[in-house]
Amino acid sequence: MTGNIRVAGEQKQGLARAGQIYHDRDIRMRQLKAEGRKVLGYLDIYPVLEMLTALDLVPFGILGDIKEPISRADACLPTIVCPFLRSALDLGLKGRYDFLDGLVAAHTCEVGEKWAHIWRIYIDLPYIHYIDTPHTTHQSAREHLAVLLSDFQGTLESFTGAKLTPERLRRAIRMHNEQRALVRGLYDLRKPDPPLIAGTEVVQVLVALISLPVEEGNELLRQVIDEVKQRHDGPKKKPARLLLWGSVVDSTDLIAMIEDLEANVVMDDTFVGSRAYFSDVKLTDDPLEGLAEHYLVDIRNPRTFRETALDEANRKDYWADLESRHGYLKDYAREWNVNGVILQTLRYCDIQGYEVPGLKDYLEHIGLPCTYLEWNYSQAALSPLRTRVQAFLEVIG
Amino acid sequence: MTKVVIVDGEGLLRARVVSNTGAEHRRLANRVMEEALQQAGLPFDQVSYVVATGYGRINVPFADRQITELTCHAKGVASLFPAVRTALDIGGQDAKGLKIKNGVLEDFVMNDKCAAGTGRFIEVLAGTLGLKVDELAAVAAKSTQKLRITTTCTVFAQIEIVSRLSEGVPLEDVVAGVYDAIARRTVNMLKQLGVEPDVVFTGGVARNAGMVKAVRDNLCYDVFVPEDPLITGAMGAALLGKELVLKARAKGQPILRKERRLEEATFFSS
Ligand code: SF4
Repeated sequence: MTGNIRVAGEQKQGLARAGQIYHDRDIRMRQLKAEGRKVLGYLDIYPVLEMLTALDLVPFGILGDIKEPISRADACLPTIVCPFLRSALDLGLKGRYDFLDGLVAAHTCEVGEKWAHIWRIYIDLPYIHYIDTPHTTHQSAREHLAVLLSDFQGTLESFTGAKLTPERLRRAIRMHNEQRALVRGLYDLRKPDPPLIAGTEVVQVLVALISLPVEEGNELLRQVIDEVKQRHDGPKKKPARLLLWGSVVDSTDLIAMIEDLEANVVMDDTFVGSRAYFSDVKLTDDPLEGLAEHYLVDIRNPRTFRETALDEANRKDYWADLESRHGYLKDYAREWNVNGVILQTLRYCDIQGYEVPGLKDYLEHIGLPCTYLEWNYSQAALSPLRTRVQAFLEVIG
Repeated sequence: MTKVVIVDGEGLLRARVVSNTGAEHRRLANRVMEEALQQAGLPFDQVSYVVATGYGRINVPFADRQITELTCHAKGVASLFPAVRTALDIGGQDAKGLKIKNGVLEDFVMNDKCAAGTGRFIEVLAGTLGLKVDELAAVAAKSTQKLRITTTCTVFAQIEIVSRLSEGVPLEDVVAGVYDAIARRTVNMLKQLGVEPDVVFTGGVARNAGMVKAVRDNLCYDVFVPEDPLITGAMGAALLGKELVLKARAKGQPILRKERRLEEATFFSS
């Protein structure tokens, strides 16, 4: 079934539909289950969703919930690890994701890996697959990821009893690439001043996307883009146009706090934000190769280590290296006309945290003011952050 | 603590009120404002502009504008010490470091997550030692070998000092150690900004001579402390308010003021 996202009795469309799914993430999943579809949960952006879509499986992005106090997960995960992962496991243990037929996880970060194994121990699902995604962009790592993806293909085929042909996979890749292009189109609406769409609205749409099958997500994106282009009551012009970088931002709360001040968040480099959508998967002869290249090399994320870039004389050079790591953020800042950057990491998120000192140096070097927030993935943590963000806005004027 | 400062068109202090903040922020804001107006001998409608700052800034119903304590502190400190480049403010709840250039806030760091390194740490440990906070400095002055407190957390530090006392470490060395622990922590925080002179130390904790000495010892710079270190933030807020008004007047622009809340009118007439 394609494109039909209407629910009997509730004819919501566009932003209203996105808001509805954002607040009630499982509604569509439960309907699809009732129609006999199988739903696989996944974590973060490294599980290769194209392979699920190609086999008619529905991917569902597992998130945490900053409003739900963590209780059950503390019995199985230490409290000094990523609070997003603790929250996501907690919701799993409390049955929030009881409609899942399976789980696909990948090695995003150390704790993400342990999280997947702990989930396997405590929450029994008919299908679980873990992709041990390498951490470097070397040729051998790309080849290794292609091999891991063919293992993944094997377990998916035996779970579904269907064959994952290259044609089916290419079709799915095209659908996901279309989604990526549509998301980029959505982000284009943030370029004008004032932006046509608020940062909080973008988060709602992106959370809805990972709660819908890809074709329904694409339809939703088309509706939202049309609606936003036509409406006249978008965000107000404010002095600060900010880029938000860092760890997972899976709810509107942090951005709502920022946009409640004299700032619009007009660009991001996060999950659930732009990271998964800003480059396409190339259609290679062996589609798995194109997928491996995309997930390992094309996606910019501190979890993947890139070799130190050398200067023109082949010497190590700090600034040349920073430019090669973070240059894309300069492009974002220029295209989205950004005048300040908020670097945010969740407490205990080493992966993003390690990046901060160099990234601060880089932003300072290119004359882009930034501030760094480390926070606890809880609503209570937001009110002291408000003072820091407001002071930052006062500094940048 | 809730503080009110009223300045006149020359920036001179016309009223200064400091009061303990209870749970009822809004009611208190109204009461201390009334007291300040009395001190200044002004009716409320003669106040040209009200800037609220600090954690309670959103709970001041009659404020025209809210500006963070970081910007206000920078302004207040620079008005007293024009050459200031680095400021340290330690209050009861938090500690902040400010980098100031030409009288304007340039960068900042904050510890707002944890009681260690704030005035609260001193209060709790003074309680553990059975002393009042204002008795500590005199005790610490007798120390010959300050205790090195190894834990950061307030609760663990309590356990640590009790056990060191029972091992026979003299009280004065323990107290000097408490000062040193906070000073080390806040000075390390300040180093993230890069410390440059002049350095000014403000906030309630800066009234404590023992603490000022510990900060000096740890910083290796001289440290200036204003005469009234508790009100630099409020002072800065008042001065920023004055600037906004004067700037608008000079440009012939209207002064944008918030509509007064009814709640405030009721309080003022009661
Ligand atoms: S927020 Fe950081 S620690 Fe948590 S899952 Fe993401 S990368 Fe891992």
